[in-house]
Amino acid sequence: MSQNLTMSPDLGTEDWDPDVITRMIFIGPGAHVSEQEIVTAFHMLGLPLTIKNTCYGSMISGKSEDVYKAIEEIRKLDPNHIFTKERGFAPGDPRRCRGHRFGPREGFHQMEKEYRILGFVSNALENPKEVEIEEKKPVDVDEFKKIMNDCLDKEE
Amino acid sequence: MVKVAIYPPNSLILADLIERKGHTPLVLQKQIRQKIKDPEIDSPPMNITEEDPIKGLKYAAIEVPSGVRGRMAIIGPLIDEAEAAIVVDGAPYGFGCIGCARTNELSIFLLRNKDIPVLEVTYPTNQDETYVMVNDINNFIDSLEETKEEE
Repeated sequence: MSQNLTMSPDLGTEDWDPDVITRMIFIGPGAHVSEQEIVTAFHMLGLPLTIKNTCYGSMISGKSEDVYKAIEEIRKLDPNHIFTKERGFAPGDPRRCRGHRFGPREGFHQMEKEYRILGFVSNALENPKEVEIEEKKPVDVDEFKKIMNDCLDKEE
Repeated sequence: MVKVAIYPPNSLILADLIERKGHTPLVLQKQIRQKIKDPEIDSPPMNITEEDPIKGLKYAAIEVPSGVRGRMAIIGPLIDEAEAAIVVDGAPYGFGCIGCARTNELSIFLLRNKDIPVLEVTYPTNQDETYVMVNDINNFIDSLEETKEEE
């Protein structure tokens, strides 16, 4: 696994600019838009951004002002199913990109876990309603005894 | 606009729900970006420098392992900046990005002790629990707006 540690990236001026940020755009389950539609919409905005099409949605990188403007516009396509989050590394950065190294990308497992409940979060945002959950309680000892004795009596 | 610390600090759902309401989530990715864009770091893939465990001394004692102090050098400034916090409880083992149970405990302890409004939500496993979590977070953020207006 030494390749993962000894990577020496060839960084450009944009990679060193503190004002350049990267955001990931996730499309939740049941969305009314596709990954390709999102990428096309980003291109149609005509902003100076680096746009990458990914399996979960897309990734955009550029000056923070342009990125936030683009996200505001893209959210309008499907406000309840489009989620965004920050990313530290630029798209295709050899220190993180799977194309250059082994194993799943760092952060993938968190993404996988959260994606499982993303559909429920979309539903909660789309149709907000009050829900009450019954608290799970341990079985009472007397009740447990009664059930156990009933079962034993039946066997006899 | 309120700066809200979240735990786990790289959470997509928590950060997004806060941003939807126009507030700033304090996420770890911003700290990592600062690190990797720092021209003073000689070997960018190794994001921890020897200075980090020293910075971590502000949050943890010298007896604490250097791994915890190194991590606290990155997470600590987020906790310092926080004006409110949302913490997920009861998550399965390995949830979150820290990779260190003691750092998780210390960070949550510091957030709870900071005299800021803290919301603790339970890790949801089904639709009803997710509804409760989203409602709780939205109500909490709305209450932050009200207290901010009162001030």
